[in-house]
Amino acid sequence: MILRRLLTPLGLAFWAMIVAIPFYLVVTMSLKSPADLQYGPLKWPETLKFSNYWTAWQQANMGQAFLNSILITGVSLILIVVFSSMAAYPLARRTDRWSGALYVYFLAGIMVPFQLAMIPLYKLLNGLNLIGKYPGAIAVYIATGIPFAVFLYVSFFKTVPRELEESAQIDGSGPFRTFWKILFPLVKPITSTVVIIKSLFIWNDFFIPLLFLQSKAMRNIPLSLYSFTSEYTNNWVLIFAAVVIGSLPLIALFLALQKHFIQGIASGAVKG
Amino acid sequence: MRRTGIDGVFLLPAFLVFTIFLAYPVLSSFYYSMTDWNGLSPTIDFIGLDNFRKLAHDKDVWKGLQNTLVIALLVTVLQNVIGLLLALGLQKTGFVQRLLRAWYLLPALLSPLAIGYIWSYMYNPQFGVINTILEFVGLSGWAQDWLGDRRLAIYSVIAANLWQWVAFSMIIYVAGLQSIPRDMYEAADIDGAGAFSRFKNITFPLVAPAFTVNIVVTMIVGLKLFDIIFIMTNGGPGGSTENLAVMLYRQAFALNRMGYANAIALLMFAMILVFSLVQIALLRRREVEY
Repeated sequence: MILRRLLTPLGLAFWAMIVAIPFYLVVTMSLKSPADLQYGPLKWPETLKFSNYWTAWQQANMGQAFLNSILITGVSLILIVVFSSMAAYPLARRTDRWSGALYVYFLAGIMVPFQLAMIPLYKLLNGLNLIGKYPGAIAVYIATGIPFAVFLYVSFFKTVPRELEESAQIDGSGPFRTFWKILFPLVKPITSTVVIIKSLFIWNDFFIPLLFLQSKAMRNIPLSLYSFTSEYTNNWVLIFAAVVIGSLPLIALFLALQKHFIQGIASGAVKG
Repeated sequence: MRRTGIDGVFLLPAFLVFTIFLAYPVLSSFYYSMTDWNGLSPTIDFIGLDNFRKLAHDKDVWKGLQNTLVIALLVTVLQNVIGLLLALGLQKTGFVQRLLRAWYLLPALLSPLAIGYIWSYMYNPQFGVINTILEFVGLSGWAQDWLGDRRLAIYSVIAANLWQWVAFSMIIYVAGLQSIPRDMYEAADIDGAGAFSRFKNITFPLVAPAFTVNIVVTMIVGLKLFDIIFIMTNGGPGGSTENLAVMLYRQAFALNRMGYANAIALLMFAMILVFSLVQIALLRRREVEY
């Protein structure tokens, strides 16, 4: 019993350390000057060279990358939420064979690994002249985001009583007004789950931009980080400075909305 | 009639985007896997099942399949064991518990690219952190070339992936544990049940839904693992970390064998499908039994 009481805090402290060491490495490395590098990776830097951040920002063209990431993530999230919640509404309400089949059709998308779509998608986007352009990548993010979001929205709409929309209809509200003014605000918990899970994925995604947004002006943050391996010899100080810059937005958002994040992950996973 | 029209308007945007940019490509991948398309030439020749025949005799594919399974198995087991252990330690709702949960989750917010850079440096044989620490505590004999050694590289990659994602499983387990009613434990205490018996008879059966979700999700993620391998080793050294996902990217975009790569993608899909269906069937049955 005493052993167990000791073991739990020791184990938890151990994992906290395991998490801490790489973060310590990133932050201290990002502030080192060349002279500091010879004293080993864990030595605290003699002088904190904050100018590394500015150098990394310029070399990897991170201003542009930030704009690209914000645009791609923002537009994709909005359209995933709008399209999926709209589609989920009739799917949750109708009970005929067509609705059932359509629901299964959307859901099948959860099972399919993206790699299976990758090559034909490359050809399709090439044919549509969408390689290296925002709409191509955004369309792919929406298409791959729809199955999960539709699933969550349908299960939630099924719990919303019909009386709500019926009384709105009697008051003369049209179907679109009823949906956006009455039903959509009710499904806010699902919207926040979808937004959190999908923003984690899209903001950090490397694979889809690698395939479809290679050109320098279109790079998102992960691709601009990747440019350090392809274009410069491994300058670790600048790489880690760029890692810090690129990771800050999500970490700040997480610290501000911690509770929502954790709830979003838990409920998104359990239902998805 | 009017109702159907309105339904159609609600459904149309999602239906169109999903069909054009996911369903249609997925379905046409069955066709491309039976062609010799190289990604550049305008002509695409239909070659039947040749790609699949080649696949069955390709030593690299068998090695890639083996790597895929090793990665998926270890990712699933380690992430769930450690995730559940951490969750058991943090299921209470105090300040320290909340702080640690948030702290553990931080790596999950980084992009796989950042993880790749960070752990490449951690593992570096000359100036890396792990060897430095080993030397510091007097275990310099344990120092290794973590990513350069054929036998070790795959485990090093798996460990880095574990570092990033274990808290995801933990959060799901915590949610499962917190939904267990307090009085069940109180009843067990009155009956004089020991700690192990409590875990076996109450905790474990009641986190079963969280268990099912975690196992299936981590398994699928493990079978598809790409980014972190691509950044850290790109399948090397000597193909020792090349799983099917990395292999098919190389076949498609480095070797311009689009048709063949698509056949590999189909193999991967078949594996994911079979594994998840079997797992869901097995785990759901266990949930019901209790």
